[in-house]
Amino acid sequence: MAVELATWWYVALSGTLFAIGTWGLMNRDNAIMILMSIELLLNAANINFAAFSAAHGAQDGFTFALFSIAIAAGEAAVGLAIFVNLFRLQDSVDVSKATLLRG
Amino acid sequence: MVMEMIGGLLPELSLIAGSFVILLAMARIDEGRWPATVAFVSLAFASLFTLAQLTELPGLGFVPQSGTVLDVYEISVFAALLKLLFLVGTAIVVLASPGYMDRASMQAEYYSMLLLATIGMMIVASSQDMLTLFLGVEVTSFASYILAGSFKSEPTSGEAATKYFITGALSSSLVIFGMSLLYGSAGTLTFAGLAEFWAGQVERYASLGQPALYLFMYEPIQAISVFMVLAGLGFKLTVAPFHMWAPDTYTGAPDTVASWLGGVGKGLGIVALLKVFLWALAPLETGWEPFVAGLAILTMTWGNLVAIRQDDIKRMLAYSSIAQAGYLLIVLPVGTSYAIAGGVFHTFTNLLMKGGAFLVVAAFAYAGIGTKLQDYEGLGRRNPFLAISLTVFLLSLAGIPPLGGFWSKFVLFSSAVDVGVGGSWLWWLAVAGIVNSAISLFYYVRWIRTMFVETTMHPKEIELPAGITTAIAVCLVAIVAVGFAATPVIDWGLQAGEALLAAAP
Repeated sequence: MAVELATWWYVALSGTLFAIGTWGLMNRDNAIMILMSIELLLNAANINFAAFSAAHGAQDGFTFALFSIAIAAGEAAVGLAIFVNLFRLQDSVDVSKATLLRG
Repeated sequence: MVMEMIGGLLPELSLIAGSFVILLAMARIDEGRWPATVAFVSLAFASLFTLAQLTELPGLGFVPQSGTVLDVYEISVFAALLKLLFLVGTAIVVLASPGYMDRASMQAEYYSMLLLATIGMMIVASSQDMLTLFLGVEVTSFASYILAGSFKSEPTSGEAATKYFITGALSSSLVIFGMSLLYGSAGTLTFAGLAEFWAGQVERYASLGQPALYLFMYEPIQAISVFMVLAGLGFKLTVAPFHMWAPDTYTGAPDTVASWLGGVGKGLGIVALLKVFLWALAPLETGWEPFVAGLAILTMTWGNLVAIRQDDIKRMLAYSSIAQAGYLLIVLPVGTSYAIAGGVFHTFTNLLMKGGAFLVVAAFAYAGIGTKLQDYEGLGRRNPFLAISLTVFLLSLAGIPPLGGFWSKFVLFSSAVDVGVGGSWLWWLAVAGIVNSAISLFYYVRWIRTMFVETTMHPKEIELPAGITTAIAVCLVAIVAVGFAATPVIDWGLQAGEALLAAAP
């Protein structure tokens, strides 16, 4: 199925966001920055879904994006709870300080 | 129409009811063992309704045996059989939890999350399109992150949850981004539609006289989408090199949670991969086959080699669990109904032997025994039942006949040999599997020998709650019984495999 050339600009944008998010997830130690990177990663896919859905003239991509927004909210809530607990345990949200488990 | 819909969803609805009752009642009742009872009852009801989807049960005629709910949720032998395995596995973990989980500050949430995680896996088993599959994967993942952090006041548990969450979020985003690119190429999200699209693509390349593998070179976006989904779901199954979260998470998480993650939870990744790669991406098999086969060999070898030098039993079991993921991955490149039967069978034996082994670790931990190799010295004297159970589970993991683990591995490896006879190089998978089983025996025997070594330590009896003893006994009896009655299980697995392959083109 042919996708219009203009759509690929959206894919370029989402690809860039995905790359930034991956870089942030790998290189940032602060838990809040990690949560923000995760939001970037999930929303990069949403841009794709919206752009492709418009290009295909179908609704299922938009539907997926809606569900995905709800999932991102759930992910943030669970992540925040885990990081709050981490802060209680080690008085810091620096995830690089969590080094009890290794081997 | 509405009644049929509800009838088809009864297993899931029972679990949802159970988990919500626990969450709502938690505010009013905070003492006692009632959450475990509620969880167990709802699991029993869900198993009953799932059983009604497999065989005619008198009085349960309102549960449809096949079909779809709202065109997105399939009811089939494949889905029902796997759901039944997940439910039984979770029920064993619930049975073992009271007592061990007493030191967790949130009892009720723990059982509620166990049920939710199981619901997610059931959704994946029934999914017919990418959205349903992704939702199921996420429901299970969210619940598992929370489960891993159940011991809120213990730094190791918090760290396990943190690491699990970060890698899990990365893998979820890989899956969803890959899905979005797949949608961009194919314009549809249903497995059937995707399979049709890929069949058309492969045909187009064939008509140009080029192998399907070239598709990956000329259309890189499509290649990227396939590999992103593979990598993302590979994280969930702990496929090397995406396995690094597993040893830390299994070690830091409560032992019963590790038992669930390494036993039942292993089913999530393999079922999702089966659905995506043997249905939606099935026409492209020549394209992804070498990569997945390579990952299978890499995963089993890596897991077993690193497991040799572990002197912590939970880390050893975690790496051995990675090796099991490698064996399970054989199903994808082979792709026959016999191979799927092996995959279903191994999912079953894995949840008995791996889940059981972690439960023994939980029982020892309950008695205040550490997880290091030297802590396990002389345990054969102190509690023969636990030591013999662990011995049986480890031998079954290594694949010693006549235990269940031998037969499930046998089906997996012989399915690879079967296609190898037809001229495929995939029989190397069987060779790698057998060599790996031999390697794994080496470190399993080291732990077994340690348990039965004589020590001068004063032998003290170990007192255990009834639940965990029963759960371990159930796993022990089942893994031995399955070894002597493998044929019916393989038959069920074959039916499941044929159901899955019938859906695929």
